Amino acid sequence: MTMNQTEDSSTESAGTTITAFGVSYAITSFLSALLVVWKESSQAVHDTLAAITGHHWVTHGALDVIVFVGLGLLLSRTRMAAMSGRWLITTVVGATVVSGLIIAGYFI
Amino acid sequence: MSKELLLMLHPTFGVLALISAVWVFVETLNAREVNTGRIRNAGALTAVLMWLTYVVGGYWYVVYYAADKAIINAGPWSISHSFFMETKEHVFLMLLLLATFLAIAVRGEVVTSKATRGVVLWVSGLVVLTALAMEGAGAFISMGVKVALLATQT
Repeated sequence: MTMNQTEDSSTESAGTTITAFGVSYAITSFLSALLVVWKESSQAVHDTLAAITGHHWVTHGALDVIVFVGLGLLLSRTRMAAMSGRWLITTVVGATVVSGLIIAGYFI
Repeated sequence: MSKELLLMLHPTFGVLALISAVWVFVETLNAREVNTGRIRNAGALTAVLMWLTYVVGGYWYVVYYAADKAIINAGPWSISHSFFMETKEHVFLMLLLLATFLAIAVRGEVVTSKATRGVVLWVSGLVVLTALAMEGAGAFISMGVKVALLATQT
């Protein structure tokens, strides 16, 4: 394999739609983790979320889905394909680990 | 349908989603034109099963969990709620989106694009690992109820 082929495989994109929804997942996961900390730290935020659907967790889940889909569709219209597959993987895995640690760390 | 059966459906769908994600991972390791359809179907199945896990478990959590929560908190394993349930109910929301993203990623060029194949492998692997963590947390929650009820017998 030549040097050029190595560089090509490391900078190859997974495509606009996949990259857009991958980045959307990463952002949504991180925001969701921050919302966990915010609502558990503030009774007012907790009550507001609960008032919308009747349960804070249902509202939280609905917000996550809305942000994920909305942001994914929005980013699909941008030049998301410029991000390489490797960066997308790093972003998705990193967001999952960091968000998971924020949530688990808060409840320890 | 009894609430106990409803509760059992939650981990059942969860395990099936986990197995389906393993299926995606293995098929993607051996991605060829002939199994592209299977990869896409397994990815979609993973998302559908994860959404069923969410809806069934979510309904049970919202409607029935308060009674179990009171039992757990009165027992010796209150950490089953304060850490495992609290963490599980929120990390699961990420897992739901991750499984949904997997169904989107498998629609890409898994055979010809190394980048797409890498994304599908990593995301399906993350779904498997996170789902295993959810199953483990669920076991702690069930045990929290059990040891609390056993403590009342002695």
